[in-house]
Amino acid sequence: MSALSIAVAAGLLVVILAVPRFGLLARWKRHRAYRAKSRSEDALKHILAWQHRSKLASLESLAGTMGLRPAAVLRVVAGLQTAGWVDSGAGGIALTASGERRALEVVRAHRLWERHLSDDANMPMAKLHPAAERAEHSLSRQQVAELDAHLGHPQHDPHGDPIPRPDGTISALDAVSLNEWPVGRPALIAHLEDEPQAVFRQILLAKLRPMQVVRVTESGPNHLAIEVDGRQHRIERSTAANIHVREIRPQDALPSARTRLADLAQGACGEVAGLSPDCQGLSRRRLLDLGLTPGAHVEVALENTFGDPRAFRVRGTTVALRRQQAEQVLIRPFPSSGGAEVAP
Amino acid sequence: MTPASVSPQAVLDRSDELRRGLDGSFRDSMVASLYARAGELAGRSVREHGAGKWDFDQRIDRILTSRWLGLPVMLLLLGAVFWVTILGANVPSQMLANAFFAVEAAAATWFESMGAPWWLTGLVWHGTFRGLAWVVSVMLPPMAIFFPVFTILEDLGYLPRVAFNLDWLFRKAGAHGKQALTMAMGFGCNAAGVTSTRIIDSPRERLLAIVTNNFVPCNGRFPTLIMLAVIFVAAAFPPAVAAFAAAAAVVAVVLLGVCFTLGVSWALSRSLLSGEASAFTLEMPPYRRPSILRILYTSLIDRTIFVLGRAMLTAAPAGALIWILANVQAGGTTLAERSISLLEPLGTAIGLDGVILLAYVIAIPANEIVVPTMLMCYLGGAMMMDITTYEQIREVLVGQHGWTLLTAVNLMLFSLLHNPCATTILTIWKETRSARWTALGALMPLGLAFLVCFATAQAVRLLPL
Repeated sequence: MSALSIAVAAGLLVVILAVPRFGLLARWKRHRAYRAKSRSEDALKHILAWQHRSKLASLESLAGTMGLRPAAVLRVVAGLQTAGWVDSGAGGIALTASGERRALEVVRAHRLWERHLSDDANMPMAKLHPAAERAEHSLSRQQVAELDAHLGHPQHDPHGDPIPRPDGTISALDAVSLNEWPVGRPALIAHLEDEPQAVFRQILLAKLRPMQVVRVTESGPNHLAIEVDGRQHRIERSTAANIHVREIRPQDALPSARTRLADLAQGACGEVAGLSPDCQGLSRRRLLDLGLTPGAHVEVALENTFGDPRAFRVRGTTVALRRQQAEQVLIRPFPSSGGAEVAP
Repeated sequence: MTPASVSPQAVLDRSDELRRGLDGSFRDSMVASLYARAGELAGRSVREHGAGKWDFDQRIDRILTSRWLGLPVMLLLLGAVFWVTILGANVPSQMLANAFFAVEAAAATWFESMGAPWWLTGLVWHGTFRGLAWVVSVMLPPMAIFFPVFTILEDLGYLPRVAFNLDWLFRKAGAHGKQALTMAMGFGCNAAGVTSTRIIDSPRERLLAIVTNNFVPCNGRFPTLIMLAVIFVAAAFPPAVAAFAAAAAVVAVVLLGVCFTLGVSWALSRSLLSGEASAFTLEMPPYRRPSILRILYTSLIDRTIFVLGRAMLTAAPAGALIWILANVQAGGTTLAERSISLLEPLGTAIGLDGVILLAYVIAIPANEIVVPTMLMCYLGGAMMMDITTYEQIREVLVGQHGWTLLTAVNLMLFSLLHNPCATTILTIWKETRSARWTALGALMPLGLAFLVCFATAQAVRLLPL
């Protein structure tokens, strides 16, 4: 009897360990393979980032960024060399042509995933990067291509970084740091650097977004005073170094109004001037499809118990929008309707 | 240049190249030009006669979505639907039950006179037929009233206003306002509610709506709630207000379900399904005059007959199963007694009993048969013909089987929270294609039901009441 139960228990153990796909052994193997893949891809990204700053990565810099022991870093680099992706010389580690292509593929997956999280899932900016750091290793080429088509072949990620093209080319970021921009001259925010996280949080606290117009009003030795969207902010120069701006071009087609639909009082009317530039992807398409195109007349129609969402009359239909959506519609209020109410 | 000289790849490459030159605003221009053209066409061919209809709609909307009246009106309408259902369903239920049990008695006598063996008579008439009879008499009248009345509200265009009124709460819970619409569908049938979550675009919020849809009591569970409300709540009030009290009790249970939906959505959107509320846009259609014929058709044929048919399909084998459990003996006791005594400790711990848990196990295919199963187990081989009114059911439950107010409250809670029926579980799997979310959708409510019932039972027993 006890021999039988031992045999049954042993059989069960073998099954739990060795069943293909679901067994512990199979899971452990998958986990190891995924870890090796994500480590080598992270290493490629690091070497690429240093090359863009015209520096060569080293074993020490890799160990520092990836938080690995030197022995583990050596294993990763040896793997990359075997694959023919890097050349390790006296000055440091450099990418080969195929290695650079592979690194750009990973960057492409990362930035497209960020675009997807921002546009389709409405994820806040601060959470995009960590989520994409995980997803970039598990997306296949096929999935990346499908994602690209689904998003409408975007050219920039939500921070303004250019997305590498499928052929392995990448446009250069044509912008300078805010520190170098002349005082008083309006500029367009082209890019916000998302690393280090602490500095990025400062940028987000000031409610800065790519495609916003910014003006430096005062330049001190350690700080800048800036104006964005009618709001004043003081930011450290070290923070400003991570904000990249460029000249405003006519084809940027920025809406000329500053009042937001969310700020209209109950019963007020206005004309749509355009949608906020940081409203992209699915939410932008949804607002356009509802008829909130430039020139459309809008009237605030209904308000519920909680004051949010509110319903608006547009093109003969009534449409409910949450405050967050209504903030993305820029409006020229009609003066006869009582005009805009200043948001609390 | 002949078409043959251009390869498909060259066309793709050229389009890629041109696309790079486009700035992001070309989509905006496309939509704007479409609307401009549509506006021009409409201006040429559509003539408006004043703004009467819109003013009228606007005036109704100002009341139904107003700051102070919006929510009370919503609760009143919901209460009215249940009140009409409870008031109208009582008498037809009794008549149906009387008729069916007369048929059962006559048919069983006829079978015996024909010399049929006792087990055949029992299995066919006291098992299968009795299960069917209970399901039809308990379910048909409330459904035939509830579905048409609810469909009127739907047809009027009131449901989007509910979503509008409640969206703020759903946003705070990290969910989508359209979840209110899927919950309204869940009143009819949770499987239909789960399918209707397709109206939510964001996958995260859609999953929230799918796994919490079960907290809306479906039509299969309303008979349980209504029976308990009538037996335990209405009985405590004078007859004049009894139906109001029962309807209020059912509304309270529904509101509790809404609270659980919001609470679970809140907890999930801060743990497994973490993320922010996505874009919310909702079109509020103009009010329409409901077309009575279509309402009767959709609510009676599409919904009532469909749900009842499904209930009957599971009730017939369940009836046979209960008869077998109650009549096959092993070691001196029947199988039913054995399984009930096995479940009894667990049942007692959560303020219920073994029979109720057995009924819920048997009723996994369809919740509709919980009450019939329970009554058949309690009554065993007793003569069924006498048990047709709510007073007689009360006498069986309270008088003979020791039900207390705690049993009634916990059964209401368990009925509201427990796992979805097999059809709904299957639908969750079809919609998510994920074993994990299906398991969560099935087991999370069950665990919650046990937890809440256990807590209530222990609290009541510890407090000196």
